Amino acid sequence: MANPLSTIQQCRLYAGFELQRLWLTRRGLMTLAATAVIWFFLLRYAIAPASDLISADGFQQFFRDVFGSGGLTQLFSWPAPELAVYWVLSLLILPTFCLFFTANQLCSDLERGTLRFLALRSSRAGIVLGRFCGQMLVQGSLILLTLAATLSLAAWREGGISLAMLTAAIVIAVNLLLVLLPFTALMSCFSAMVRSARLAVSLAIVSLGLVFALLSWFIFYFPDYLFVMGYLPGTQVLQLIQLQGWITLQHALLPLAQTAVLLTAATLLLKRRML
Amino acid sequence: MNTIIQCQGVSQAFGSKKVLQQLDFTLQQGEVAALIGPNGAGKTTLFSILCGYLKPDSGNVLLFGHKPGSAALFGKVAALPQDAQFDPAFSIGEQLDFYGRLQGLSSKAARAETERVLALVGLSEQRQHKAGALSHGMRKRAAIAQAFIGAPQLILLDEPTAGLDPVNALQIRQLISRLSAEVSFVISSHNIFELEQLCNKVLYLEQGRLKTETNSNADSQQQYLTLQLEQDDSAAVTQALSALPGVISIEAVQQKTLLLCYQAQQNADFDLAVLQCLAANGWRYRNLTKGKTLEQKLFSSV
Repeated sequence: MANPLSTIQQCRLYAGFELQRLWLTRRGLMTLAATAVIWFFLLRYAIAPASDLISADGFQQFFRDVFGSGGLTQLFSWPAPELAVYWVLSLLILPTFCLFFTANQLCSDLERGTLRFLALRSSRAGIVLGRFCGQMLVQGSLILLTLAATLSLAAWREGGISLAMLTAAIVIAVNLLLVLLPFTALMSCFSAMVRSARLAVSLAIVSLGLVFALLSWFIFYFPDYLFVMGYLPGTQVLQLIQLQGWITLQHALLPLAQTAVLLTAATLLLKRRML
Repeated sequence: MNTIIQCQGVSQAFGSKKVLQQLDFTLQQGEVAALIGPNGAGKTTLFSILCGYLKPDSGNVLLFGHKPGSAALFGKVAALPQDAQFDPAFSIGEQLDFYGRLQGLSSKAARAETERVLALVGLSEQRQHKAGALSHGMRKRAAIAQAFIGAPQLILLDEPTAGLDPVNALQIRQLISRLSAEVSFVISSHNIFELEQLCNKVLYLEQGRLKTETNSNADSQQQYLTLQLEQDDSAAVTQALSALPGVISIEAVQQKTLLLCYQAQQNADFDLAVLQCLAANGWRYRNLTKGKTLEQKLFSSV
């Protein structure tokens, strides 16, 4: 007779199964192919030309003359301009991609009734956390792949990869995962509420828009509460763009806390609903 | 005897509609219970509550002394939920392996278990196929297979043979019958013939209330025989059988079918006496069943 698994062991199994879904199923391979095509165009027509521009001395001087030596000029400190452009581009577009990409954490299984098979063998917390970890692993894989492509581009231009470039790539990967944590957890919540991924995305966009609009209206009348805006998911992104190296981790606490809150909410939502 | 299911005052409503009202029943170890009732009687809702998919509005439900959905019940309680489908992205084998792993089996043991349960339902050849490539009946059998993974002590089956061809339905019935010596079952079905064969306890639900809770093993001095004749000689047969010692009443329940009520204490070999009487008069019979049929038990007053 087998022993019941702990929630952590269940999470590990679910996460592994999601990784299997990416690498070993037709749908997962289509996702990989789509990511490859999108990033080919981004690398070829955005990152490569922008890197050439940034690496030109004249442009850097012009940029400093216009914007001063602080803020965005930190982008020139990255060991390779490709990484700097990748950093900015990823920070700005990945959270939106994440909403679409991770919308189907639970919806389809709820609709199909597959969750009824799973709920007889694992806790609902295990299902939510496992699917969340799986989505983070999948996104981590895709980030590593695109970073590898960006590094290859930089290595091809500079004639090799330095330790500084590798370290910077790791910094980028860690930070991107931190940025994506609360967005993925947010989609855990919405996918536990509805039975369609499309509806979950719509709900996420409408909710985020509504919360932002309401807060803006509130802050217009009560400007002392401006700090509340800083607690919305992704608000640290604009500050992160201006930073470089491990100092970026000073913004890690907020997304971690947001993720914990949202995952708790997702677990409660799934526990309360009928399967 | 160990109590496996204990339901006390279970009620559930969806909006203003009361689906279950104050249900009280128990299931003991080794019992195979039939859950019967018309459409909308609350059978699937009761199943959902027993599986832990739904929390009742009020009342207590305990399975092996634990609340449904508790970690202590993982692997101990299995179910065939109504209309639940497999993930179309993975093969049936991969999913059953995964379910086995979730139940705490090692990769190797989970693979072996998948082979075993697929063989039980005659789907060994379909291991590599995805759910979408299987027929409705095969998908149903695969869903039944997942309920047998590991060593469950209670299996809840919602319409297990609905949609299956007669041969496969028979195989599933034989499988349940074979396992019922070690495992307790709760089976919901509209097929009374099937439930009569498999179950020794009946829970009859109507409009969310438990109308009847009968146990076929109930020891009673007043017993029944159901006699189905080849030809419609009911009047003559009734007259002849009425003379047998121990007879209380003989009722023609349908054309060519008589329900004989007798005192077992007065005539322990009443069934033999009936057969001898039929043989002596040259009356041929089609079927002689001990007790009332489930249909008669449940609907005789309707």
